[in-house]
Amino acid sequence: MWLRILKKDLKRKKTMNVILLLFVVICSMFAAASVNNIITVTGGIDSYLDKAGMSDYFVAVNGKENSEEADRILSGSGNAKSFRKEAALFIASDDLIRENGKKIDLTGAVMVHDIADTAINFFDEDDNVLKDIKKGKMYITGSSARAAKIKAGDKFTLSVGNTSIELEVEGLGKDALLGSPMAGNSRILLSSEDFDKLKSDENSFNEKTGAIFYVDTDDTEGLESDISSIPGVLIKGGRGLIKTSYIMSMMIAVIVLVVSVGLLLVSFVVLRFTIKFTISEEFREIGVMKAIGLRNSSIRMLYLVKYLGISLVGAAIGFAGSIPFGRILVKSASGDIVLGNDGTVLISILCCIGVVLVIMLFCWGSTRKVKKLSPIDAVRNGQTGERFSRRGSFSLGKSRLGSTGFLAVNDVVSEKKQYGIITAIFTLCTLIVMVLGVTVNTLDGGGFRYLLSVTESDAYYTDLVSVMDIMGGRETIKNATEKIEKTLEENNMHGNAFIECWYVLPIRANGKSYQISFIHCSETKASDYEYMEGSAPAKADEIAVTPQISEKIGAGIGDHIMIDIDGKESEYIITAIFESFDNLGEIARLHESVELPDHLVTNTFPFQIDFDDDPDKKVTEERIEKLRTVFGTDKVMDTPAFVDDCMGVADILRPVRNFTFALALIVVVLIAVLMERSFISKEKSEIALMKAVGFKNKSVMLHHTIRFAIAMLAAIIIACVAVVPLTGLVIDPVFRIAGARGSIDYEINAAEVFGLYPAIILAVTILSAAFTALCTKMIKASDTASIE
Amino acid sequence: MSAVLQTKGLCKTYIVNKRQNNVLKNIDLTIDEGEMVAVMGPSGSGKSTLLYCVSGMDRVTSGEVVFDGKETSSLSENELAQMRLDEMGFIFQQMYMMKNLSVLDNIILPAVKSKKNHESRKETEERGRKLMHRLGIDDVGRNDINEVSGGQLQRACICRSMINSPKMIFADEPTGALNRSSSDEVMNELISLNRDGTTIMCVTHDMKVAARCSRVIYIVDGGIKGENKLGSFDGTEAELRKRERNMSNWLMEMGW
Repeated sequence: MWLRILKKDLKRKKTMNVILLLFVVICSMFAAASVNNIITVTGGIDSYLDKAGMSDYFVAVNGKENSEEADRILSGSGNAKSFRKEAALFIASDDLIRENGKKIDLTGAVMVHDIADTAINFFDEDDNVLKDIKKGKMYITGSSARAAKIKAGDKFTLSVGNTSIELEVEGLGKDALLGSPMAGNSRILLSSEDFDKLKSDENSFNEKTGAIFYVDTDDTEGLESDISSIPGVLIKGGRGLIKTSYIMSMMIAVIVLVVSVGLLLVSFVVLRFTIKFTISEEFREIGVMKAIGLRNSSIRMLYLVKYLGISLVGAAIGFAGSIPFGRILVKSASGDIVLGNDGTVLISILCCIGVVLVIMLFCWGSTRKVKKLSPIDAVRNGQTGERFSRRGSFSLGKSRLGSTGFLAVNDVVSEKKQYGIITAIFTLCTLIVMVLGVTVNTLDGGGFRYLLSVTESDAYYTDLVSVMDIMGGRETIKNATEKIEKTLEENNMHGNAFIECWYVLPIRANGKSYQISFIHCSETKASDYEYMEGSAPAKADEIAVTPQISEKIGAGIGDHIMIDIDGKESEYIITAIFESFDNLGEIARLHESVELPDHLVTNTFPFQIDFDDDPDKKVTEERIEKLRTVFGTDKVMDTPAFVDDCMGVADILRPVRNFTFALALIVVVLIAVLMERSFISKEKSEIALMKAVGFKNKSVMLHHTIRFAIAMLAAIIIACVAVVPLTGLVIDPVFRIAGARGSIDYEINAAEVFGLYPAIILAVTILSAAFTALCTKMIKASDTASIE
Repeated sequence: MSAVLQTKGLCKTYIVNKRQNNVLKNIDLTIDEGEMVAVMGPSGSGKSTLLYCVSGMDRVTSGEVVFDGKETSSLSENELAQMRLDEMGFIFQQMYMMKNLSVLDNIILPAVKSKKNHESRKETEERGRKLMHRLGIDDVGRNDINEVSGGQLQRACICRSMINSPKMIFADEPTGALNRSSSDEVMNELISLNRDGTTIMCVTHDMKVAARCSRVIYIVDGGIKGENKLGSFDGTEAELRKRERNMSNWLMEMGW
């Protein structure tokens, strides 16, 4: 008998059941996909590093002799359990030319490796380990390669000295060590034959050669002390540093995760609402069943059977949908990481079973109302007459609103819980979009420039060839900057050029040895930068450090440390603490008067250009455009572009924001359509009555649409107020991991965040509600006679 | 007296499961200004359908419906809505009201909606209160609709039907959901309205209700079988008994 009743019920209450089914599908799909996402992302970086065969520690060394010295030191280190050496050839953009003769703009030094000689696993775009590369083919890794729009099939000429080889890009690769957007370095992987050919110009090859050492150790601190004397260190660090360098990719994954959890919450809230709504609508059936003697448990069982059937069908569809949806989520999380867990199907099935169980629990809870309904409800239209709280506090007679507007406002105020839920869901959707918008605005606007520890300049120019020449001892900083100034002069834009350089120097503090990265520029003053505590280094023996360095070496403001510069050790005092994203916060700054030999440079920021005549924004932009032609590269940037180039995340975050925006709009449409459909089916008698007393179709539709517009407007107001604190709450921790210590000053493009997004969301809501309200046309005034 | 409502050859057909169901067949009916006409008949005879067709709530299949000199079948949905708002009043058996509005707000809603009404909101509210006072429900104006009795609610529905001073009130089983004393009260109010000049068409199953009307039409199988002209009701108990007896005999003749 239950099945017969169920079958009839499914047919009769088609709309409500379809609504419920849709939400079970969404719920299962989001639950399965987001839980998979949580597992994938949480263990993602670790599993990626494991799959890549990453060691506990790594050291990248420039120069053949330095590499041999590093090999010797590591062999003698008691704290190095084992190590693997990966030969590398350091090249600049000029050495890699497209077949059309154009240079490519890559950020940072480019390393070339023999695929047979790599010490870690590299992956192709489909996450397969790269084992063999055919002669004449190459793979290129790193986010800057993607940014430079390099793709499979592109042809290049790679030159080392007087040796050149023609290469065709087989595909883009994934590099666990340097592939993160923050690391920014590209690596080119070649066949052994091609790599050997590059060695034919021995002198040039030896000038540009170096190595990366992958070291396994149980005592990182001891190892760092052992290897503090390795010369020519470009970059070094533990597994933690590599993981942290993926913080921006993780941030994207975390955002997707937050979105998934938000959607999950939305689905459950709506599910509960739908079940309660359905039961409250069926007061008559329940009353009749009670009147003919059915017990509460039997009636509740009827509902449970019905919802179990719907849940199982919905969960099965949701499970099927969760697989492609989960893939989209993970793919949007990062293109730099090999993400994915092997138990996807099993986890999805478990999630879907979980969803069914939660629905049944909700259902059991929601069907408690069955106990409250009596046979009398069947004849009293569900009204007990025992409600003591007033519904609305407005009076039509005192209101200045038109009748339709008043009815809509009054409904929203009267049904606080109902519209409160809708407003909460709308707020969540709007907030997610706004928070992402603010984050992208801040990244786009160059607001993080101070966290890169550089002064603001009119232009920033990346010249990898000069930098590589400085690092290789073939050029001096002075010459390189003078050349730029001369070029500026020749083009009638007099200005000053300078460059922030990085140096990895051995230090001693509290009796222990370390190698610390320093940033230094002789053309700026230490006092030009921002500090969190203390005062800027004012003398040659004063330095500033980040909190991370302070914690690492156990020394703070007022403490003395020994720094070895080119073999000469001197005492320095820490006078200030500053926050920085550089080297993930592990950096120190020397006073401008300290003289550092050019051959110690391990890395640099782009050359900075300050025009003498202090031009306005428009003129500056024109000059930047001109300099791009003069220098033959797009890497002449203004401040926002420079910050974006360094952080490398805005480009990734933008599609995530767009995807999330689309997702939020879909949820808003679904909520508006399905909720409105529910309300219309519940309010059939009122709609018929309105028409009977003379309301036109247009007025009825407007009445229904305005209610959703009010809910969305309220949501937008709440979201506008909450967006800044919430962005701080969600995004600050991510940037803290990246090195920031204070609270972030977010930049908001008000027209976009408070104008464009809300306007689109509001328009979509109104359109969805208006479109759904079209079905009120089907309800006729004469239906007052046939409505129960 | 001029006719407020006139139908000629009114037919209404429903197609249910590909089967043609002729609910109303060639109805010719005239209701004059100031009349109070009851429509009676067995269940399914087409009484309510007739009321909905002549009031513009439903479309006729064929034939003419002329209300206040206007042929309604040629009017658009919006024009019909405007006509219902400004020139007609409705009372239903189920006392439908907007659940989120107070009793008074429900009453004045059509007046606020009407463009014909140029009063201020305060004046409209005052008029609503006067109507409520007249029908003896002035103390429940601010109550929710489920805080009042069925009789009070139906009287509120009458107030709502009156708020735009309609030419005609259409009542579909106005006492069907009420007990006898509430039913009497509601009918007395309708008679009082009719005495004041409002034309009323009332569908009912109740002989006692019909006995208070000036004319009764009996419908069977979608056609008018007969009519009983009772004349105006003076409101006395003796007159009512006499009319009820008359109705009883007439209904027996009709096969009631």
